[in-house]
Parts: sequence; C-alpha cells; structure tokens
Amino acid sequence: MSTKKIVIDPITRIEGHLRAEVEVDENGVVQEAYVSGQLFRGIEIILKGRDPRDAGLLAGRICGVCTNSHFRAAVSSVEDAYSLKLPNNAEIIRDLMAMALFIQDHVVHFYHLHSFDFVDVTSALQADAKLASKEAHKYHRKPFRNSHAHYEEVLQKVGNFVKAGKLGPFSNGYWGHVEYKLTPEQNLILISHYLEALKFQTNISKAVAIFGGKTPHPQSIIVGGVTSVADMLNPQRLNDYLFIMKEAKEFVERAYLPDAKLQSIAYRDDIKAGIGRANGNFLSVGGYEFEAKQRLFCNGVIYAHDFEHIEEFDESKISEEIDRAWYSGETRENEVCYTDLNEDGSLKTAKNDDKYSWIKAPRYDGKTMETGPLATVLVSYSKGNNLIKSFVDEFLAETDLELIDLSTTVGRNSARAIESGYICEYIFKLVSRLIQNIKYYDTDTWVRYDFEKLQKNANGKAFLEVPRGVLSHFVNIKDAKIENYSVIAPTTWNATPKNFDGLRGAYEEALVGIKIQDTSKPLEVLRVLHSFDPCLACAVHVIDADANELSSYKIKTLFEG
Amino acid sequence: MRIVIVGGGIVAVYLANNLKKQNAALDVTILSDEKHPPYDRIHLCSLVDNTQEIDEISLPLDPTIRLELNQKINKIDKESKRVFSDNSMFSYDKLIIATGSMPISLFDISHIKNATVFRSADDCDLIKIGVQGREVVIVGSGPIGLELLETLNEMPNVVHITLLLRGNHLYAKELSMDSIKTIEECYTKEGKIRISYEDEIVDKTIENSEIISLQTKKFQIKNPFLIFGVGIKPNIEEFRESLACANGILTNRFMQTEDEDIYAVGECAEVKELGFVAGHVKECTTQANCAISHILQTDVKEFELEVSIDMLKVGEFDLVEVNSPKFSSDYEKVLITSKEDKRIDEYFVNDDKLTRFIGINSNVDVGYIESLINDGDALDINYLYQNRLIGERGRLICSCEHVYHQDLVDIVTQTGIGSFGELASFSEAGRVCGRCKTMVQDVIRDSQHLIDPNMPRKSPQDIKKEREMAEVTKRIDKFNALHPRNNLTTDNLESALASLEIGKHEVNSWISMVTADMKLHPNFEKLVEKGVKTLNKVPIVWLELSDCSGNSEAFIKSANPAIEDLIFDYISLDYHELLMSASGDMSETILEDIIKNQKGEYILIVEGAVPLAMDGKYLRIGPKGETGIELLKKCAKDAVLVIAVGSCAFDGGVVAAAPNPTGAVGVGDALNRKDVINIPGCPTNPINIVGTLLSYIMFEELPPLDKLNRPLWAYEGRIHDNCERRGHYELGEFVKEWGDAGAKKGYCLFEMGCKGPYANANCPTMKFNGGTSWPVQAGHGCMGCVEQNFFDKFANERKYVEEEK
Repeated sequence: MSTKKIVIDPITRIEGHLRAEVEVDENGVVQEAYVSGQLFRGIEIILKGRDPRDAGLLAGRICGVCTNSHFRAAVSSVEDAYSLKLPNNAEIIRDLMAMALFIQDHVVHFYHLHSFDFVDVTSALQADAKLASKEAHKYHRKPFRNSHAHYEEVLQKVGNFVKAGKLGPFSNGYWGHVEYKLTPEQNLILISHYLEALKFQTNISKAVAIFGGKTPHPQSIIVGGVTSVADMLNPQRLNDYLFIMKEAKEFVERAYLPDAKLQSIAYRDDIKAGIGRANGNFLSVGGYEFEAKQRLFCNGVIYAHDFEHIEEFDESKISEEIDRAWYSGETRENEVCYTDLNEDGSLKTAKNDDKYSWIKAPRYDGKTMETGPLATVLVSYSKGNNLIKSFVDEFLAETDLELIDLSTTVGRNSARAIESGYICEYIFKLVSRLIQNIKYYDTDTWVRYDFEKLQKNANGKAFLEVPRGVLSHFVNIKDAKIENYSVIAPTTWNATPKNFDGLRGAYEEALVGIKIQDTSKPLEVLRVLHSFDPCLACAVHVIDADANELSSYKIKTLFEG
Repeated sequence: MRIVIVGGGIVAVYLANNLKKQNAALDVTILSDEKHPPYDRIHLCSLVDNTQEIDEISLPLDPTIRLELNQKINKIDKESKRVFSDNSMFSYDKLIIATGSMPISLFDISHIKNATVFRSADDCDLIKIGVQGREVVIVGSGPIGLELLETLNEMPNVVHITLLLRGNHLYAKELSMDSIKTIEECYTKEGKIRISYEDEIVDKTIENSEIISLQTKKFQIKNPFLIFGVGIKPNIEEFRESLACANGILTNRFMQTEDEDIYAVGECAEVKELGFVAGHVKECTTQANCAISHILQTDVKEFELEVSIDMLKVGEFDLVEVNSPKFSSDYEKVLITSKEDKRIDEYFVNDDKLTRFIGINSNVDVGYIESLINDGDALDINYLYQNRLIGERGRLICSCEHVYHQDLVDIVTQTGIGSFGELASFSEAGRVCGRCKTMVQDVIRDSQHLIDPNMPRKSPQDIKKEREMAEVTKRIDKFNALHPRNNLTTDNLESALASLEIGKHEVNSWISMVTADMKLHPNFEKLVEKGVKTLNKVPIVWLELSDCSGNSEAFIKSANPAIEDLIFDYISLDYHELLMSASGDMSETILEDIIKNQKGEYILIVEGAVPLAMDGKYLRIGPKGETGIELLKKCAKDAVLVIAVGSCAFDGGVVAAAPNPTGAVGVGDALNRKDVINIPGCPTNPINIVGTLLSYIMFEELPPLDKLNRPLWAYEGRIHDNCERRGHYELGEFVKEWGDAGAKKGYCLFEMGCKGPYANANCPTMKFNGGTSWPVQAGHGCMGCVEQNFFDKFANERKYVEEEK
C-alpha cells in the first residue's frame, strides 16, 4: 500500500507555530499523523535564578492568548510554595478575570479561528436574507441581530469585499470544497455572527481589563492577592463588569449556542461517523468555587470513554517523557537536543525514536490524555454535577445526539459552547459573592507576609482549569530564588508527540482514520486540529532533567525509568 | 436661587457679576447704602481733582442684576432668611455680606464741616470744596493717603499741605531710610508739602462745627482742612449682634459664616482659621471666588493665603510691593540701590527665603520675584543684580493679572486694538482692582503707532486659531512637497478638506481621537481619514516569529475603529496567521505572491523576537521549514516599511531575557537595519500601531522617532509625568503595601515599585481596551514594558535601583 505524506505548515488561525504531517493511503485516509511544535523559547530557563515574586509577570508571557492563565498559575504556584492563603476577594477577582477569558476565548475560537473550516464565505453570497432570518429561528426563538435588513447589510459588505478582489484575511480559503455542507443561508448567519463576534471579543476584553488593567497580559495579580482593590471598591466598575457580562450572556445564548446547534445538526453525519474522536481518555482538574464549597467544575479522569467509572484526579500519576521531543535528559546542562528536519524540510519520523517536536510528552498513568472543554464537560456531567447537567441534556436533546457524540471534532465545539453558556449563567453568582463580602466590610485583597521571613527553600504547584484545559505550573525555590520551573499546558497534553510507547496524543489519534477528499486542500485536517483550539506558545516547555526536585511531583523522564 | 449681596463696592460687584456669569438663572440683588451706583474707589482721586466724573469710574454691572441704592441694612432675620433696611425687606436663599471697611478717624468728625475721611464719592465732594483756601492736613501715609497727597499737590488752588505722621516713616515702617527719603523728595521738592514725622494732633479748637485751629506737637495750624488716612476697620457694626465676629465677621475657608446660608467676603470678613482679614482687592476677589464656588458647589475652592502684589504710582516714582504671608518682623534685608536712578530694591529675607519685596522705581521682573517667594527657592542675588536694570517684559502694569508693559504692547500690535474696551476680549488687565487702568490706557494709546495699518482686525478666536494654523501651515507645506498635485493652502484648506470623502460616524470619533493624539490640528481630521482609506490599498503582511501572539490578540481587540472596520474597510491585512483562512501551502502562496508582485508596496509588521542561536532553528515556519530569520529577511527585503510591534520584536523582550537561551534579538538587530520602526509594549497598545501606520501613509516618511526608533507621538511623554496618580506623588501619598488604605484611595504606586518614572509611553492618556484601564489604574503600577531589557530591569514589584543585581 502506497502512502503519501502531506505537510501542513503553517497551521493558521491558532496561536503559535504548529505543523502537521499526515500519511494518507491511496483513498486519502490518514494512516499516521505527526504534529509538531516548531518554536522553542525556553521561558523556564529564563525563570531560573529569579525572585519567585517575579515569576507571574514573566511566566504570563508564555502566551498572549491564554493571557491571564499563566500569570495566575505562576503566582498561585509560588503562593502554594509559601502556603499563603488568599483572601476570598482576591480569589474571586482572579476567577472573574478567568471566566471572562473563558467566554472571550471560546467565542473567538468558534468564529474567528474555526468557523471557516465549516462556513464557506463565497456560498453565503448566494443567500436570501429573508430565508436566513427564518432559518435562524430554528435554533433560537429570538436569534441575535436577525432582521432581513441586517443580513442584507452583511451580504453587501462581504459582496463588496469579494467584488473588489480584496479578500484580505479571507484570501485563499478552501472555498467551494465539497466538505462544506451548510446552506447559503446558514453560511450567511454564521458570517453575520463572525462580524458581530469581532465586536463581542473587543467588548468582553474590557471585563478582563476592569480588574486586570489591560488584556492581553493583565497586570494586577501579585503573590498574595490582587492589586485592583480600588476597582473592586468602585461600584461603577463592578456595574460595568456585570453589564458587559450580561451582554456577553445575550450573545452566547442567542448566537453562539444556536450556531453550535446549527453546526451539530448540519454536520450530523460527521459526528455519527465519529470523525475527530481521540482515544477517550479525559482529564479535568475542575475548580471555580462560586459559592461556599460549590465548584463550577469537578475534577476527574475518564478512560476510553467509560463515563460510568470516573477516577479522582491524582497528580502523582503525571509523568513527562521526551524521547521523541527535541530534548535530552542525559545531563542538566544539555537540555535542548535539536535533531533538525529532513533536507526537504519535513519532520524526521522514519525511525520510531526520531525526535520531531518541541512539545514534550506528558502522560497520566502512562496514558495520553485529552483535556479541554470537552473533558471538563464530560467529567463534570459524568460525576453528576447537576448544574451542568441541564445545559448538556438540553443541547443533546435539541440536536438529537448522545453524550459520546460530543467526543468528535464538531462535538468539541458543542462542549465549548455548552461550557460558555454554563459559565455565563453562574458568573453572576460569583459577582454576588464579591458584593456580599464588600457589603460586610471585607475588603481584603492581599494576605500580608514578609518575604524576607518566608522559608528560603520551598516547592509549589498550581493546577488550573483554563479555557483550553488543564494547566499546571511547578516551581522549585532554593535560597529564595527559582531553582527550577516547569509547565504542562493543555496543548502540551493534546499535542503531545509519540513516545517510546508509540501512543498517539489526542491530536494525532483524532487525525488517524479521517478521509481527505483533496490532498491539495486538506480541510479535514484543519477541522480536527482546530477543534482542539491549539495554543502552541503554551505547549512548548523544556523539561527539567532533574525534575524529581519538583515537590512531590514525579515528573519522570525516560532515562529515569 | 435668590442671592442677596450687602455692600456697594468692588467686591459686591465682582460677586454679582461672577455669580451671573456662572449661572445666568440666578436671582442676584445688590443692596448698597450709597446713593451712587457702585464705583471704583481706586479712582477717587480723579473725583477730587475733577479729572473724572462719578459715572466715569462706575463699575460695569450685569444688567440683569437688581441694584437697590440707599439701603443700609441694619437687621438680619436668620430664621426667615430676610434682611431689613429702614424702609425695606429683602428675602434671600443665600446672603453675602460684602460691606468692606470703614475709615478710622481719631475723633468724632460727623458734625464737623472741615474734616473728613477719604473713602467715598461724598468724601471727595467735601475735599474738593473744603481744601480751597485752607491749609490741608493729612494724617497718615497709607497707599491711598499718598495718592491723595499727590493729587492735592497738583491742584493749583491748594496752597499748603502738612502730612502728619506719628512714626518716622512713609508708606511702611520696614522701608529703608533711602526709600523714605526718595519718596519724601518727590513730594517735598515743590515746597508745597511739609512732612512732619513723629507728630500728632494734641489739641483743636472747634467753633460752629468748624475746626478753627489745630495744635500738633510741632506746629499750630489755623484754618485747616483735616483728612484722616490713618487706617480702616471692618464695616460690620450692624452684624455684630446676629453673627459671630472678632475683628471681622468670622467665616470658614469657604467664606461661610456660622449660618450656612450667610457668607462674608472681603474686608468685612475674618477667616477664623487664619485670623486673616483681607486688605488687597486680589485677596477679596479670591475670597469671592471661594464663596461662589461653595454656593454653587462647582469646583469648590478653599481660601488660601497667597502672595500679594501692590503697586503705587505717584508722580515721579512708582512703588511695587510683593508680600508673602510668611513675612515676619525678624527679617534681614538686602538692598540694591542707585542714587542716580532713584532706584531702590529692598529684599526682605526670613530663614534664607525671600518673603517680601519693595521696589522704588524698580526694574526687576515682579513675576520672577513672586515665583521666588512662592516656590521658596533660595535667593539668587546674582540674578537679581544682573536683572536690576531692565526686565524682559518691561515694567509690571497690572499686578492683579500679572500683565507687563511688553505683554500689552504685544496684544496691541497683534490684534490692533485701540481702546481699553477692546482689550477686554484679550486680557483682564486693568479690570480687576482697576488701579492700573489709566496706565493700561496709556500703554494702549502709546503703542498705537506700532500697529501695522494693513493688518486686519482679529478676534481672540482668530488669534488662537492663527497660532494653531501656523503649525498646520508648516505641515501643509510638507504635504504639498510630497503631493504636488494636491496643492493645499491655508485658504483652500477648508474646501479642499470638505471635498474629501466623509466617512461613517463611528469612524469619525476615532479619527478625532487619533488626530488629537498625533498632535495635529482638528482641521487635519479629514486628512487622517483619507490616510485611513489609502491604507486600505496598502497590503500588510503580519509575521509572527518567536512570540506569544499577545500583540495580535491586542490588535484584534482594537476598539476604535472596531476591528471589523479596521480589517475589512481600512487596512488590507493580507497575511496574518492568526486571522487568515488559508493554511499551509495556500497561505505560503499568498505570502509569495505579495513578496514577488508587490515589491516596494507592502508594509511588513513583525511580532516576536528573532532567535539566532543554533542557526535560527529554534523557529521554523512553512512547509520547507524556513527558519524565522530566513523568513524575516525574505519578507523584509522588498517591504516599503518594516514595523516591529511589541517588546520581543523591539529588542527580544522576554525571549531575550537573561540568559537568552535562544540567542534572540529584535527585528532591527536581526536585519541589521536602522530604519525599522519600533512600537514596543508587552503587548503594545493597538492604537499605536494604527496611528503609526497612518502617520506614515499621510506624510510618506517615517514619523519623528526617538533614538530607539520609537515614534515620538506615542513614546515621548514620561509615564510618571502624565500619570493620574501624580498628584498623590507630589503630596507624598503612597501605597505602602498591597491593599492598604492608600491602595483603596488610589495613591501613588512608586513605593510599590512602579516604573512610571523610567518609562516613556502614552499609556496614561490612551489606556487599554478602549480606555478601560491601564496597569497603574489597576493598582499594580508600570513595569516599563516599552523600555529596553525591561524583563531584566523593571519587571518586578520593587523600587528600581540602578545596580540592582
């Protein structure tokens, strides 16, 4: 059987530098896949030797998309090292920033990063505005901006654009591809929302900035709390936050969720064919206490789609391997071990120990795991979280799908939309809690400590559920300086390379078996990869060869067995 | 609101006019006990010598103000909020007492025909007639007394004047003997005036309500006309019963008395906290402003003691005095005198600081003296000596408004005004206390010949606009040089701009903002808009290298214009990996196409550092696995302009922070080019990207850059200088620990390691996310992310010390 290798680089509409290489048989069915992170920066190396209090500002720069996630995780890991217990207000403000980011990220992902894999811009031009308006009513009783006039305006706008021959960012899409299945009217609805979502994400970023000073890269989290106390005590700022989130909720309920339903119904065949399904191992750490002892998400581990048996998350089961990533664990001084590409620029994958990515290989109990909104939703739902249950059940009922169907390319988007709707509902409880605290004169935002008197040697860790899944930071402090630093980001889990075990990560596993109609236009590959919302700057992290020093964390390398 | 003002002097008029100016709907009434409408007492001398009639010195009054004359108020009913005169009753919501002061006489002169004080127009009438054929005796030598002395000295029908002084000084006891002699000479050289020091009236003979003779310690004076100029006291007898009084009616610093609806302003009031009773017009008007601000609750101000300036111009000499509240009698004095010029500068020093200045025929810049006293700077005798002969702006004319001779001449020559009345639109000189009015008139008259007869008359708005247009003209010349066919001039600018296409409303507000931020005249707005539309035709390639996409994320959050307008209507974002539909080969095709077919036309924006170690292989892009540096060089080669956005593209940023594991550098260094525009920031504010693009499109050259190639329009101002918390810094109000009381109040973050003093950018004015906030507002402080090596230097929460490591 002859196979053909397709190289896709750059994968656009993601954060960072991702390459995918797939080997297809004569029918275009993917037999093997390799995904590779193509940029190494070495943020952990840069963190070494610095004051632990500076970790947040620096580690925040790991990613400008998951912008406050790393900032918070770094500060939290240092707080964990020093056993600092944060004032409730500080936790809430951090959560409010995080939750606004969830919504912002998910909406940007669905429309700006992913929708063109399903929506054909050129087809939308054939749409009838009146029919589009009617179509939208099938997915919500009060669709977002659904007047005929509005759709006419969108048609005109996009039409002018195409007529002028200036497609700008729409240039060279796979327009007209047979895999595009939406009707012209459905395409028009989604393009209308694409444009509205551009405004939406600008607006909701203000919610993050209210408490963060700015976004991307907010600047208000410090070891021991948050700095934006004056904003917290300003009723107008709280009010602004509430109103922005109220508007966001409108958009999520009336545009995003209905569009996710539309997509699920239109691409039902793909869903039922299980396209984009990975190995069914899911990991979630949960979090977001919106009421005393009540958390938005549960922690848990699912193996092989067995939703009946959920294991508790056990951090000691995490290990990291590097034998097919461009690192070497033999000596601490020689951490990077770049073995280059082939002459023609393709990845070296011929031998099963060829290194081919800057992404290291995290394993949970020796297995590759999928993390992200799909994992979060499945774990919380399966653990009987009644709050999220109604959101999931309603979505599945309206689209006539089952829980397993979410574990597909299109299903990942549905899970993300469900998660967004769920967060929009409960974010207001969190604000109420903050208001309640202030009402009873609890205005603390920082826990006092004297840095000079803190222990000089300490280890800390932070596990956070962030928009793309489970994020963990580990810090090892010696003589009051950072001795070692390590990060496992959601994309590290999902985009992991193979290992000596030959196990495929979620990206690779989901790619294997899909059929590519036109190998010069590998739209199907983009769909699968985009459904994970890749974030490569987050994913690439150097592994520490002497990693046993990281607290109780056993981050094993191949060479330690 | 009904506001009743009791008093008929300059303060009452000032209060009434300014209340009306701030709120035309107010019902304002003035109750004066005089028979004349309010007039300017400063000019009483001109009534004495008949150079002016009473109506010539009357004070301008807003016609909607109700003026009641001959109303001597003798009772206040605070309960029902009414005041009473002998024949009328007036209701008020707010009452302001501005009855000023009354002159002191050494014995009761109310029934004596040939004795008077010098305070009112009626007194002038008495003096005018009474002095004829009599020996005039003036007791006291305060400023007004000296002016009257001068006036009488000039009057031919006054034969002889005796000035009786209890002490041995003129004007003020602190004056040096030289000064006193100089003043004395001016008065006595004609022989009409004799000055008798250490003298006083010891006896008098009165017949038929007329003083027949006066016996002083030294002289016997027959048939005298006696004028008391010995001082004043607050005119408050009628209010002592109803309001708490000490020397004057006691008030707080808002000039409010113990009754919250009653205020007292001017010489009748005593600010309790300061034990202060006003003596100068400027102090009275300052108090009036405080009272008005408090009554109307707009921009409320408290009364503060301030440096006062007094001037006296009598015949051959002029005198100027600058006096600080800090002056005390244990002073030392520095004198610079010239016998030749009759010039004496007296500097009074307390605790090494200048606290008072009196100059006779002085040339020194009074404004400088005032700032010296205000700032408490050390006295620089050298400077004062060097400038003793002539100040740059000439003599001070108006001490209230600080207007100098040259300032007035400039106004005259620039605007072509010909009268005092016309001056009003340009300057308040001569209008506050009015003392210098004639001098102002003289300057206007004497400088008429300097006016260019061909110059068209201009309004104040014209002048202001003209100054701005001069700046615009400079830019238009530049524009014309680059676009010869446009041929814009200041004459056709309006119509030329009007003919340009006008965009949508939403865009307009943004354009105004950018125009203002780029320090362009508002007339340029439409040109900016044209620039925006031109931008749409310039292809833009946005490369991401060793980055975190933070700048791309920031860019798509551009609030004004909305990102959708920006990427669909205004710029042609042809290659941007975060947004573009195409991937893999298809995206490479786009890039190849632009690079090959649009040489010298496209703009390259680069985000991220350039890793150079390991032959650049820490970053590889595209199906062929090009390294970051290879791709950058390829794209930059034929770009018309390369812009490095964000701190990583600027100097490697976080990626190049120690120990710089991937050998990362900024774009300029990687390309070894000096013409790369840097727009640093972590991430940079999207408005700075768009603004810089516009600037380039409009002016077709690099915008003015600093030495690190950052556009000055965005990176010129120091963050500390424009910071909203700067006031707290000045007051020494600092956040001392996170979340403390100061943090809750928004105090200065310097002690918490804010790097605003070391960073230059427009963050304080532009803010982020559509003006929502910025790191200082969020209580963290600046981390200097627009500066070089900031991760190794500034990115922490500790105070910056030069050699931290």
